[in-house]
Amino acid sequence: MSRFVDLTLSTVLLTGLYATMAYGLGLIYGVLRVVNLAHGGVIMTGAYLGWILYVRLGIDPYLTIPIVGAICFGLGVAMYSGLVRWLPRGAAGGPASLLLLFGVWLVLRNVAYGLFTGNDQAILTSYSTRSVAVLGLHVPLTRLVVLGIGLAIAALLHLLLRRTLVGRAIRAVAQNADSCTLVGIDVNRIYMLTFGIGTALSGIAGVLLATVFPFNPNAGAPELLKSFVVVVLGGLGSVWGIALAALVLAAAETYAVLIMPSYLTAAVGFVLLVLVLVLRPGGFFGHRILA
Amino acid sequence: MALLAARGLTRRFGGLTALDRVDLTLGEGEILGVIGPNGAGKTTLFSLIGGSIQPSAGEILLDGRPVTGLAAHRRVRAGIVRTHQIVRPFANLTIFENVMVAAIHAHRRTTGHARDRVAEVLELVGLADRPERYPGALTLAGRKRLELARALSTGPRVLLLDEVVAGVNPAEALAFAQLIRRIRDERGVSVILTEHVMPAVMSLSDRIMVLEYGKRIAEGTPAEIVADPRVIAAYLGSEAGQGAAS
Amino acid sequence: MTPPPLLPRRMAGAFALGCAVLAVLPALDLSPYAHNQLTLSYVMIAGALAWNWMGGFVGQVSFGHAAMFGVGAFVAGRLMLDGLPAPLCWLAGGAVAGLFTLPVHPTLRLRGPYFSIATIGIGEVSRVVFTYWEGFTGGATGLSLPVTAVQKYQLYWWALALAAMVALASIVIRRSSFGLRLLAIKADVDAAADVGISAALYQDVMFALSGAVIGVSGGIFASYFVFIEPGDMFGFDRSIAFVLMAVIGGVGTSLGPALGAVVFVVLRTQLLASYPELHLGLYGVLVIVIILFQPLGITGLLGSLARALARRMQRRIFGRPRRTPPPAPGEA
Repeated sequence: MSRFVDLTLSTVLLTGLYATMAYGLGLIYGVLRVVNLAHGGVIMTGAYLGWILYVRLGIDPYLTIPIVGAICFGLGVAMYSGLVRWLPRGAAGGPASLLLLFGVWLVLRNVAYGLFTGNDQAILTSYSTRSVAVLGLHVPLTRLVVLGIGLAIAALLHLLLRRTLVGRAIRAVAQNADSCTLVGIDVNRIYMLTFGIGTALSGIAGVLLATVFPFNPNAGAPELLKSFVVVVLGGLGSVWGIALAALVLAAAETYAVLIMPSYLTAAVGFVLLVLVLVLRPGGFFGHRILA
Repeated sequence: MALLAARGLTRRFGGLTALDRVDLTLGEGEILGVIGPNGAGKTTLFSLIGGSIQPSAGEILLDGRPVTGLAAHRRVRAGIVRTHQIVRPFANLTIFENVMVAAIHAHRRTTGHARDRVAEVLELVGLADRPERYPGALTLAGRKRLELARALSTGPRVLLLDEVVAGVNPAEALAFAQLIRRIRDERGVSVILTEHVMPAVMSLSDRIMVLEYGKRIAEGTPAEIVADPRVIAAYLGSEAGQGAAS
Repeated sequence: MTPPPLLPRRMAGAFALGCAVLAVLPALDLSPYAHNQLTLSYVMIAGALAWNWMGGFVGQVSFGHAAMFGVGAFVAGRLMLDGLPAPLCWLAGGAVAGLFTLPVHPTLRLRGPYFSIATIGIGEVSRVVFTYWEGFTGGATGLSLPVTAVQKYQLYWWALALAAMVALASIVIRRSSFGLRLLAIKADVDAAADVGISAALYQDVMFALSGAVIGVSGGIFASYFVFIEPGDMFGFDRSIAFVLMAVIGGVGTSLGPALGAVVFVVLRTQLLASYPELHLGLYGVLVIVIILFQPLGITGLLGSLARALARRMQRRIFGRPRRTPPPAPGEA
C-alpha cells in the first residue's frame, strides 16, 4: 500500500517535469507546424546553463530559471531568424525542417562536449538530498520544487496564450496563418516569438531536469521522445490537455515498475505511442497524424 | 441496374451532419451534376464516393456490388476515380510521369502499353506538347488538365469531377466542358460533376441533383431544376422562391 | 512506345568497369590502411544506400536504422560463434533484420515528423532491450567474433559485392515504375491513393528491404570489427551516421548516398585523429548548409558544376547566343 502511495507521489512529481518539456515542443509544432528536432539539444543546453550559473556564480539553480529562459529564448529567436525561416515554403514538417534542426542539435551537442567534456554532470545543491514529509512519506525536496515550478509555468503559459495580445496573435496564427497576414499580423514575427518561447520552455525544462537527474551532452533523445509522446497524447488544444497527458505518461512509466524491470521503463513511452496509434489512429484531440 | 448507386449516405463530423441520408444513382454513360450552395455537402459526397472517408451510415454500390468498405486506392481499381478541387499534381514528377504512375498502377499493364495509353490520354486533354516538363511550368488550367489526365489514365468507369472548371477563364471553361463531353461520348465514362459555374453544369449534365445542408432537395433534368422553386430558394433566399412559385 | 531500359548499356558498362577496377585494386599493392578504409566504405555505402530507399525514395526519414543494423550484426555474430560460414551468417542477419521491421510497421502509418521521432524510439528501445539481453548480445561486454586475419582481408570483396548489388538495385528501382510510385507517395500520399497506390503496402515493402540490407551490412561490419557491443551497434550515433551519409551525398538521388558514405568514412578517420571534439559539430554545420543551400548534397553540387561547365563549353564552341532582331511591323 505504501509502495502504491510512493509510486503515485513519484508520478505526480514527474508530471511537472514532463509537462514543461512538452510545452516547448508542442508550442512550436502547434504554431509553426515544425517539429523542433533540436528540442532535446536545447533541454541539454538549458541543463548545462543552469549548472554553469550555479557552479560558477553560485546562483541557486531554481533562481537561474529566468536567466536560462531568457538565454534560450534568444537561442530560439536566433535559430528561427537565422535558419528555420529560410526553409522553402511548404517545407514545414517535411524532411528538410527535421534535418535542419537535427543539424542544430548536433552542433549544440558538440559545443557542450567541447566546453564541458562528455562526463555526467548533476546540479547538487545543499538541499539536493533533503526530503520533505508529505502524506507521511519522504519526498525529495527537489522533485517537489520541480512540480511547483511546472505548475507555475503551466499557469503562466495559459495566461499568456489566453489573456495577452501576443498570446491571442499566436493562437490566431496557429489557426490560419494566411488570414492573419490579411488582418495585419506580422506572421513572421509571431513565428519568431513562438519559436523563442518554445526553446525558452525547453531550456527551463532542462534546468528542472538537471536538478533531479544527471545529464551529459548526449542527453536529449529520450527527452525528445517523451515530449513527443505527451504532445501526441495531449493534443495541441490546451495547456491542461498536455498536463494531463504528461500525467498519463508519468503514471505509465512509474507503475510499469510493478510489472517490468526498471531499465525497460524507458520503453514505456514508446509502447504508449504505438498503442495510441494502433487503437486510435486518428490520434487524440483531433490530430491528423496518420498516412 | 444503375452503374453507381448510393443509398442513405450519411456523414457526421462530431456534432455536424455534413450529409444526411442522400440517395444517388448514376446510369451507364450518364453525366450527373451535383449543385448546391456552399457547405451543402458536395465535397463530402465526393470524398465518400471516392473513398477517402467512410460514411457514418449508408452504402455505395458499383454494378450492384458494395464498395463501401473499400479504401480509396482500391476503389480506383474498381473503377471509381476522383479529381480534386485544389489540384494536387506530383510536383517531383514530370507531366508524363504524373500520368504514367496512374496508368501503370491502376491496371498493372506492362510499361510499354502504359506508355501508349499515357500518350493517348495526354493527346486527349491537350498536354501532349513537351510532357517532360514539370507541373510547376503549367498554368492552373494546365494543371487541371493534368489532374484530369491522371484520373483518366486509370481507366475509370465513374469519374468524379470536383469543381474542375473553377478558377479558369470562360474560354478554358468551355474547352473543358467539351472535353468532358468527349470523354463521355468516346470512352463511355460516366461522370458525376460538381460546379459553381452554373452554365457549365446546366449544359453538360443529363441530370442534376441539388443538395442543401446535407440533404437532397431536388433532382431532375436541368430544365426542371432551373424552374424548381425549392432550388431557387436555396440559392437566392426564400422570397425569390416564393416569387417563382406564384 | 518502348520504355527506357532499366539499365542503359553504357551505364551498365561503366558500372561493371568500375567494379572490376575496384576488385583488382588490392592486387596493385594497396596499403593495409587503404584496404581497410575501402572495405569499411563499401559496407557503409550499402548501408547509406539502403537508408536512402526509405529516407530518399519513400521520403520517410528514419533516425532508428541502427536497430536493424545491430540486429543483423548480432544475429550474424551469434551464428558465426556457432560455427556457420560467414556469408550465410550475414544473410541470416539480414533476413532477421528485415523481419524485425514487421512488428514496428504500425509506425509506418505515421506521417513525416511523427514517423521520424517514432524511429528514434525504435532505436532507443532496441538499444536498451538488446543491451540487457545478455544471452543474445553478451550484454555490455558484447561479443568477440572468430574472424581470422585472412578472412578479414577477404572482407574487401564481400563488401564490394554487397555495395555493388545495392548500388545496382538503387539505380534500377529509381528508374523503374516501382520507383515512380515511391516518388508519387513521397510527393503526396493522398493523391497517390487517388490514383490507386496504397502507400501502406509500398512503405512496408521498402522498410523491410531497407532493414534487410542494413542488416547484412551490419553482419559484414561485425566481421570487420571482430568485436561488437550493443551500446555502440544500436546506438543513436550509428543511426545518425546513416542519415548524415545520405544527406551529405544527396538524399533521394540514386547513388548520392554512396558518395556521402565515402566522404563520411574518410572524414571520420581524419577528424577522429586530429580534432575528435569537432566531429559531430562539423556534420551538424554541414547538414544545415546542405539543407539551406544545396538540398541534394554533393550530387546537387556536382550537378550544378556540371551544368555551369557545360554552359561555358557551349559558349566557347558556339559563341554567345545572338539576339534575333525584332520582326519589322507587318511581319509575323
